[in-house]
Amino acid sequence: MIPASLVTFLGAFFATPAGILVLTVLKALAILAPLLTAVAYLTYAERKVLAAIQLRRGPNVVGPFGLLQPFADAIKMLLKETIIPAGANRVLFLLAPMLTFALAMLAWAVVPVADGWAIADINVGVLYLFAISSLGVYGIVIAGWASNSKYAFLGALRSAAQMVSYEVSMGFVLVSVLLCAGSLNLTEIVRAQQHVWFCFPLFPMFVVFFISTLAETNRAPFDIPEGESEIVAGFFVEYSSMAFGLFFLGEYANMILMSTMTSIMFLGGWYGPFGLLPQLGPFWLIVKICALLFVFIWVRGTFPRYRYDQLMRLGWKVFLPASLLWLVLTAGTLLAFGWLPRA
Amino acid sequence: MNWTLALPEIVLACCGMAILLIGVLQKRDTFHLCSMLTVGAFLITAELVVSGSPGLGYNGLFTVDTFSTFVKLLVLVAATLGVILSLDYNEHANLRRFEFPVLMLYSTVGMLVMASASNLMSLYLGLELQSLSIYVLAAFARDELRSSEAGLKYFVLGSLASGLLLYGVSLVYGFSGTMEFARLAQALSNPAHVSPGLTVGVVFVIAGLAFKISAVPFHMWTPDVYEGAPTPVTAFLSTAPKVAAIALLMRVMATPFGHLLVQWQQVIILVSILSMLLGALGAIGQRNIKRLMAYSSIGHMGYALIGLAAGSEAGLRGVLIYMLTYVFMSAGTFACILAMRRRGRMLEQISDLAGLSRTDPGLALAFAIFMFSMAGIPPFTGFFGKYFIFTSAVQSGLWTLAVIGVLTSVVGAFYYIRIIKVIYFDAGGAEFDHCPASLSVVAAAGALFTTFFFVLPAPFIAAADAAAKALLL
Amino acid sequence: MISAVLFYVFAAILLVSAAMVVSSRNPVHSVLFLILAFFNAAALFLLAGAEFLAMILVIVYVGAVAVLFLFVVMMLDINFAELRSGYQRYLPVGLAVGAVLLTELAIVLGGWKVSPEAVTLRLSPRAAELHNTLQLGRLIYTDYIFLFQAAGLVLLVAMIGAIVLTLRDRTKSRHQNIAHQIARTPADTLELVDVPSRAGVASIGILRPKPAPQPEQAEASTGHAEGHH
Repeated sequence: MIPASLVTFLGAFFATPAGILVLTVLKALAILAPLLTAVAYLTYAERKVLAAIQLRRGPNVVGPFGLLQPFADAIKMLLKETIIPAGANRVLFLLAPMLTFALAMLAWAVVPVADGWAIADINVGVLYLFAISSLGVYGIVIAGWASNSKYAFLGALRSAAQMVSYEVSMGFVLVSVLLCAGSLNLTEIVRAQQHVWFCFPLFPMFVVFFISTLAETNRAPFDIPEGESEIVAGFFVEYSSMAFGLFFLGEYANMILMSTMTSIMFLGGWYGPFGLLPQLGPFWLIVKICALLFVFIWVRGTFPRYRYDQLMRLGWKVFLPASLLWLVLTAGTLLAFGWLPRA
Repeated sequence: MNWTLALPEIVLACCGMAILLIGVLQKRDTFHLCSMLTVGAFLITAELVVSGSPGLGYNGLFTVDTFSTFVKLLVLVAATLGVILSLDYNEHANLRRFEFPVLMLYSTVGMLVMASASNLMSLYLGLELQSLSIYVLAAFARDELRSSEAGLKYFVLGSLASGLLLYGVSLVYGFSGTMEFARLAQALSNPAHVSPGLTVGVVFVIAGLAFKISAVPFHMWTPDVYEGAPTPVTAFLSTAPKVAAIALLMRVMATPFGHLLVQWQQVIILVSILSMLLGALGAIGQRNIKRLMAYSSIGHMGYALIGLAAGSEAGLRGVLIYMLTYVFMSAGTFACILAMRRRGRMLEQISDLAGLSRTDPGLALAFAIFMFSMAGIPPFTGFFGKYFIFTSAVQSGLWTLAVIGVLTSVVGAFYYIRIIKVIYFDAGGAEFDHCPASLSVVAAAGALFTTFFFVLPAPFIAAADAAAKALLL
Repeated sequence: MISAVLFYVFAAILLVSAAMVVSSRNPVHSVLFLILAFFNAAALFLLAGAEFLAMILVIVYVGAVAVLFLFVVMMLDINFAELRSGYQRYLPVGLAVGAVLLTELAIVLGGWKVSPEAVTLRLSPRAAELHNTLQLGRLIYTDYIFLFQAAGLVLLVAMIGAIVLTLRDRTKSRHQNIAHQIARTPADTLELVDVPSRAGVASIGILRPKPAPQPEQAEASTGHAEGHH
């Protein structure tokens, strides 16, 4: 039983500027703490799934079924020494991983995990997400340059070109979603999918978007920025300990973010399939994210890495025209049948 | 909204995209085909321009009147001549690429927009479209150092000029609250209410536009760009964009800032005097004929500005007639310059012309006609252009301007006639290569117009008159 | 109150980072400061209620344009000492131009008065009930459609120009022909041969599966070989 006086006190406190600040911090914690746990277990899941694909057992020593493995890894990383290479630009070298990690966290501010559950439900949520994800390239480029190493630099250049290329078609895909939803607000976009998820009418765009998210997060088969066989480990070859750990966390957090974005844009967010099953807070969203993450890992386990020119060809010569064409088609169809959403 | 007002521009832009597609999709060499299609597109556009009806559209951004029709037709003629001039040169200089006519086409679209602009924003976009295409064209011979340098120089200085123009536009907007010409004219109808900030803005606008017509003191780029750019580009550069930019300057000065005549008149007078002086004096020492043409064009712009400075209807009419005569003289001269080729190599020195009267009397005659006309000697068109300009200046009481104009014409005549002397009286070199038909056509058209304009000047003068009237309404 | 404080904070950072762009010695640092300046400009837009412009500024300038800047600056080995060699010489001219512009600005600001005729001429009155993405969309696609399309043409020309000035057909590079690769069957490249036991490959007269293939196949096979790099 909470005493009534405490309730009124809290109500009054949360209305003051300081209270709003505290409330926001609490909200942020409520989303970041589960997120970081999810990141930890995503690494575990990746190793287990890959192992299953390759007929191995995966981590199984630390804790029951190896469940404590991520924490063991984290402790190992924290305890190691951060090595800064000679000739590296100290400030930028350390700034890069922080930037990557911070950006991966920042994006979550606008993500609605369930109807009305978003820290900031802003009008231009899609643009915000797009802006943040397009900034991810800086962490990589700065890391590559500041390391003062040719492998790192090559990796950074590859990554910059790759991310900029795929953003273009991603942008067009987003525009066709926006045309169908009639709003830039993420909550509104999900609500527009109450009856039909956009992945059905916009199926080709869904595929393009998902593949672009693979490229955007530098995941296999587009992981040429870190291609071990050619440039050792690409942009983070010089990183060790927690600086490396931050990159690692950032990459996995980005995977989760991109899966969430795909779920929100195409898979109906928090709605159950076809409106048949009840809506259970963020439950359905989490299910969808997990399914997409599984595909991320599955793709990594089954496809060979693209070569650089193949990657560029796919981005500019296949996805860009395809998404443009589909955009025109979508707009034309909506206009012709009078299905344009009212603003 | 009456979108058909911009039909010529829309059709031309769409033709450009179609030509671009043809060029990209065809595997074989399509330079010739695309050039011919571009000329065809110009003809269709000219027909649409003639048949278009006047009006103001697109939310006050775009206007069609007799002035814009006159300017657009002149621009289209100049651009057509430019494309024809490039045919043979590009074949020989290994610039056979279909993008060349397409860029010329888009530059022309920009000029048409400039001619119709009735808002400072459409003015700027037209100007940028026109200039950007020409920056690329100037650097078109990308393996040649001179051409790349010309393109880069033009681009950097042109961007600076655009910056000045935009700064001016923003000041004008800030102090008057509108960018539409008609509303500006209304807002500025009482010169007492005009703040100095707005005057500063107008001066910046003039500076930006003066760069585009290469008037002193914004002429620095002209000789280098004229010399470095591939010659057909120079020919194009010295005709169509000049017409469009002068027309734009006339419209901006006459319509929105018409009530501020006192404020901008001194600036224009100063620019005009400096241009005439520099054009006359700078050309004297030149050995390279393209550089000489650069200084000559600076001088000509100076003369054209006299008419604008007069600010009267007669002055504006004079400017239009001057530009009409200038386009034909200039295109014809460049046709002759392009014919200066010996054993496949282009020649650019004035001394290379020696003895031309014996090896190729036709070309020599054409050259002589253009030089006499540029010097302003009757009965060639150049004389009529100067005549209308100077009389309007005298009518408006700008005696000094007229006197300086006449004096610099005399100086100018010296170097124009020196070329004729080299052609007819100097001991000659070897024969030039056979002159291709495309160049002969342009040279002949230019020479005929230049020579026989005096027989039937009335329709042209009447058209210019109507155009100038539309501007002062 | 809070927004006023935020405005001054962002504006101050914007100015400082803009100054650092031109004054920092390392060009990469310059670009990074430029990015910081963009960010703060975006924040100022947000404070002014123009959220669409703020996001577009970040996406376009920070997310794409500045990346390319950074790319170029990192690739180029710029010798800044050399670039600054003319600094002393051109300083007086630069200062003079700057002073002239500053005086003009001062005059302009000193004479700031809006003429009474102009007050009614506001170009696009704001519709208060719409958020600004929608308002911008309405203005751009209806009132200013002409400018929008003209700007599109300018970009088209820029694209043609970039291609025309830089694209070279590289005859030496071997392009991958994916259709070829997929159309190949094992029969085109593989030959199964029975090798007698203990006699060695030499006994059946071939050391390589097939002699020189047809030109078309050659292209396909080189493409394929490249695919395994």
